[in-house]
This record gives sequence, structure tokens and C-alpha cells, in this order.
Amino acid sequence: MIGILTMLSVFANAQIDKVSAAISLLQKGNLDSAKTIIDLAVADTEIVNDGQAWYIRGFIYKSIYNAREKTNIKSPLRLEALNSFKRSLFIDTSLANVVENKKNIKYLAATLYNDVKASLDSVNYLIAIDNFEKFKTYSKLIDTSQETIKQNDIKFLLALASVYTQIYENDRKGKSEFLNLAKATYYKVLILESNNISANYNMGILFYNQAVQLINQSDYDIDIVALNDIQDNSVKLFKESLPFMEKAYQLDPKRREILLGLSGVHFSLNEKEKSDYYKQKLQELEKQK
Amino acid sequence: MKKLLLILISFVFLTSWMVKLPDEAEKAIAKPKAIYIYNFTKYIEWPAESKQGNFVVGILGISPVMISELSKAVEKNNSKPESRKIEIINLSSVDDVTKCHIVYILPDNSAQLAEVINKIKNKSTLIVTEKPGMTKQGAGINFVIKDDKLQFELNKPTIENHNMKVASGLEALAVH
Repeated sequence: MIGILTMLSVFANAQIDKVSAAISLLQKGNLDSAKTIIDLAVADTEIVNDGQAWYIRGFIYKSIYNAREKTNIKSPLRLEALNSFKRSLFIDTSLANVVENKKNIKYLAATLYNDVKASLDSVNYLIAIDNFEKFKTYSKLIDTSQETIKQNDIKFLLALASVYTQIYENDRKGKSEFLNLAKATYYKVLILESNNISANYNMGILFYNQAVQLINQSDYDIDIVALNDIQDNSVKLFKESLPFMEKAYQLDPKRREILLGLSGVHFSLNEKEKSDYYKQKLQELEKQK
Repeated sequence: MKKLLLILISFVFLTSWMVKLPDEAEKAIAKPKAIYIYNFTKYIEWPAESKQGNFVVGILGISPVMISELSKAVEKNNSKPESRKIEIINLSSVDDVTKCHIVYILPDNSAQLAEVINKIKNKSTLIVTEKPGMTKQGAGINFVIKDDKLQFELNKPTIENHNMKVASGLEALAVH
């Protein structure tokens, strides 16, 4: 808050009429008028390249967002505020300006991130994706490390893949494209982090479930040739599942779901001994509990 | 502001150990066998004297999922008024095999093959098994895993000795 007061006094001293008027209106709580005036100010050719004017604009938009659009996950005011802080940051590189703008960008980026969490479901996932991309863009402006960005990406992609899987599972025939989206999303995680246990396990399970469903959804009155084709395709999918499951096992040999999955894949490939091996590992694990 | 950032830091996405293993894996193993057995009723011709009443498929051994899958496999056939009804029964004793057109001996019950052969003697009963080497011991058809998938061996002379005819199409699809 001290920062903003300092900024305000700088503007007052500069006697930039429109900006000063906007500041005055902001101080009086007249946010709509402050917004109208500051929009006129930054449209002025004399002020359009003034970093502090853009900072004030960002602050006014942020104030309106906080007052009225906090629950709007697609809030245009928040984006205007972020865009204004970003412009200010690029125009005026003085330390005080950089610190103040980054502080506000960090705050608004945090609201974006929290909205991603709130909206990452089968209905609003597209908004979540959009907000996450914006969150990433602005995170890069606030000295976020590459590793933090990567870890955020991984967390987001895993959750998104779960949503795609859920959409597919709820309507396998009507939403079959979501199975491929889920796989593609887990692949993205594996490109970022090949040793990610969750991505490996879930890729394995997606292929495994697909193989099982291929058989279980076939008609009962098919002929032997058609049955053989279905079996060939399902075997191919079971085999695609295996390396992911084995990798997950290598990374976490004591995870119940992985042992169950490996036992299931080998059982489905008619490899009874291997299936029993993992079943036994699972039993040993459960005895330890 | 501080509160919000704390929420951000502690926030973890709901990650995904939530894909469930299919509880239908057992069904996926049983279903191809059921489809095969239903196809055997079409590819093999039983003699005229065996064409009275329902066509009976008996399962020797305990497998509720196999009973269920076989019942589903014959459902469409049984819903047609003109079709001969196919009845799926669980055999509690080898004595009951004499009423069957097909006897499917589950792997755990393979040791009972000789007893079953002895019971059916001159009857037109197709014995289906699921253990290596069973066709050499008198089974008409034996399920095997070849090229990672369920296939079947066929002992044509054994089947023909029981007065059943094997369609050439079935013979061509068998593992040799």
C-alpha cells in the first residue's frame, strides 16, 4: 500500500491531469469513473508510453476485479489489469516500478491459478486450460524458476488428463476422442519427466482398460475370424500397456495399484506365472500393513 | 494477499491415481471362450437323433463368469422363435454329462477328462478342454494360447467317431 501511495504522489507531482483525476477518483472509491478516465489517459499519445500511467490503470482494474469479478473465472477485468501491469513493467524499468508491478502480477496470477483448480472439471476444462496458459505467461514475468514452471505444468497436465479420462469413462462411445486426449496429455508429462510414476501408471491403465473394453464391448455373435481380429487388437493394446506399467513398478515397487495393474496385464496376456508373481507381491505388501 | 499466496503454495491438483482397474478383466478372458463355444454349435453338425429338445452346453467346474458369458453368447439365438434353444448348465457331477451336446471341462477339472470320456462313450458329445495335450487324450477341441491369443486345437477323428461332422471352415481355423 505504501508503494501505491508513493506512486500516487509521483503522479500528483507530475500534474498529468487525466491520470491525477483517475487517482483522485480511485481514492474516493469511484472505480467506474476512475476506469473511464484512465482509459482515456492511456489512449493519449503523450501518456501511452508512460509506465506509471499503465500501473495506475492496472491498479484500478485490479480494484474493480476484486470488488466485482472475484468469482468470475473468465474475468476480463483481471486480464486488463494484468496486461496493464505487464505494459508498465516493460515501459518503466525503475526498481520501484518493477517491484510494484511484479507484486500485483504475482497476486493476480495466483488468482488465475486458483481458478484453474476450481474450474478443472468436465464442464469448464477449456476455461481452465486457457487460464493456465495465461497463468504461465504471467508467471514468467515474476522470476518464477524453470523448475517451478515445469512442476506446475506437470501437476496441471496430470489433472487435465484425469478430467479427459473421466469424460471418456462417462461416455466411451460418444466421447472416444477423450481417450486419445488423455493419452496425449500423459505423453506430454512423460516428455517433461519420463520418470513420473503417475503418468506411467495411468498410461498403462488407459491401454489396459482399452484392451479389456475392446473385448467386452464386442458382440457375442461374431464369427471366429472377427474374434481373432479383436483378440489381435486387444493383445497389441495389452502389450502397449506393459512398458508403462513396468516403468511405474521400477519407480515405485510397493504401490498397490501398480502391482494390481501388472498382475492384470499379465493375466490378460495369459501369462499366469508372471501375473501370480505380482499378485504375490501384492499379498506380501498387504500383510505388511 | 498473504493468505491467498499461502493457498496457492499449499495447493495441489487432484492428481490421478483415480483410473480404476477394470473389474471386467475376468470377463474379458471368459468372453472369447464363450464366443468360440457358441461358434462350435454352428460349425459342427450333430446327428439327427441328437436334435431333439434343447441343445445343452454343460460346464464342468466352477466359473460363474463363464456361465454368465455363455448365457449371453446364446441370448440372441434363444430369442429367435425359429431357433433351437441352447441351454447352459453347470455340471455338478460327471454323471450329468450324458445330457450334454457340448461339455466344457474347465482347466481345474481337466483330470476328469477320462471319466467324462467313459461316460459319453457312444454319445454325440463334443468335449472342449483347456489344457495342453488334451486333444491327444480324447478331447474333441482344446483351447490353447498361441501368438498371445486364445485359439483352439481340433481332433477331427475323435469328433467324427462320435458321429459329429466338422465343417471345413472350422478345421481351417484350428491350430495345427
